[in-house]
Amino acid sequence: MSKTKRKINGYQLNRSLHRDVGYFCIGLVIIFAVSGIAVNHKDDWNPNYRIEQVLISASAKKWSLDDDTKLTHQLLAVSETNEKVKASYWASPTQFKLFFKNGNNLLLNLKDHQIVYEKITPRHVFQAFNRLHLNETKASWVIFSDIFAALLIFLALSGLFMIRGKHSPWGIRSLWILSGIALPAVYILM
Amino acid sequence: MNFCKLLILIIATIGLSTAKAEQFGKPVDSASLLKISTIMAAPDTFLEQQVTIEGTVVGVCAKRGCWMTIASDKRFQNLKIKVNDGDMVFPMTAKGSKAIATGQLNKIQLNLTRTKALLAHRAQQAGNVFDENTVTEPMAIYQLVPTGVEIFE
Repeated sequence: MSKTKRKINGYQLNRSLHRDVGYFCIGLVIIFAVSGIAVNHKDDWNPNYRIEQVLISASAKKWSLDDDTKLTHQLLAVSETNEKVKASYWASPTQFKLFFKNGNNLLLNLKDHQIVYEKITPRHVFQAFNRLHLNETKASWVIFSDIFAALLIFLALSGLFMIRGKHSPWGIRSLWILSGIALPAVYILM
Repeated sequence: MNFCKLLILIIATIGLSTAKAEQFGKPVDSASLLKISTIMAAPDTFLEQQVTIEGTVVGVCAKRGCWMTIASDKRFQNLKIKVNDGDMVFPMTAKGSKAIATGQLNKIQLNLTRTKALLAHRAQQAGNVFDENTVTEPMAIYQLVPTGVEIFE
């Protein structure tokens, strides 16, 4: 039986590691990227909830303003909803609110004689992504996020040694690398 | 007690304990519980001490869950609790639920321009007419920066 001594090839090892670490990071990169877009545009779009409002005219109604229970029943009847009431609240002398157990709510505005029914639907997938991205889970996720960040640095650096020859990043293609560094640098200095 | 009964008891105990309250941050300190109306009657006297408040959640930050307004025991009065983004994330489904929060009262002194802008916003929300010329003095707003919050189902 002959013994063959295998020589470690640094170039191949780097490629293998870059490939496998890359595979491992696919899911996380997508989650962080999608959540990043969602959070960047949070002023234009609510990534956590879909909020729909329905206006109901309440002009011709005589409300039982001195009895919250009666008023609640009147509101439920007028708005044709049978949702379970969690709490009621007078926000001002002219604004009465009902909160439902499913998270929806209803506002009676006595000034403009309108009822505003607000339906709140959580966006569960985005909520979960944002929870990870913004690190709302804390403690253990900090450790994992640090490891993930280290892996991204490894991917960036090992990417420099993936290809040899005319397509390597050490020739004319170094312009791509320089551009990637210059872009944020220019933005900061501007 | 046979095995099935024991299993049901364990599941029921776990179910009851988890459904009771959702906790954020450190445990609340019920010993320092004060009425919101008491605090708001003389807020400057509570700035340096830890206070605990309780009440119904009547407003939640829709986008980041970074604040909640808690209804006072006094009609039409409420107190906002505010955290740094991501420190605690309050769900919108908390609206209408009872909450207890422990923290420190924070005073934000507004200048006249910001006072007018805030009062104009409040008037718009309430559907009232607002004349900014009636505002001649800057005001301060108070909010609780919590270290711990519990929201009950």
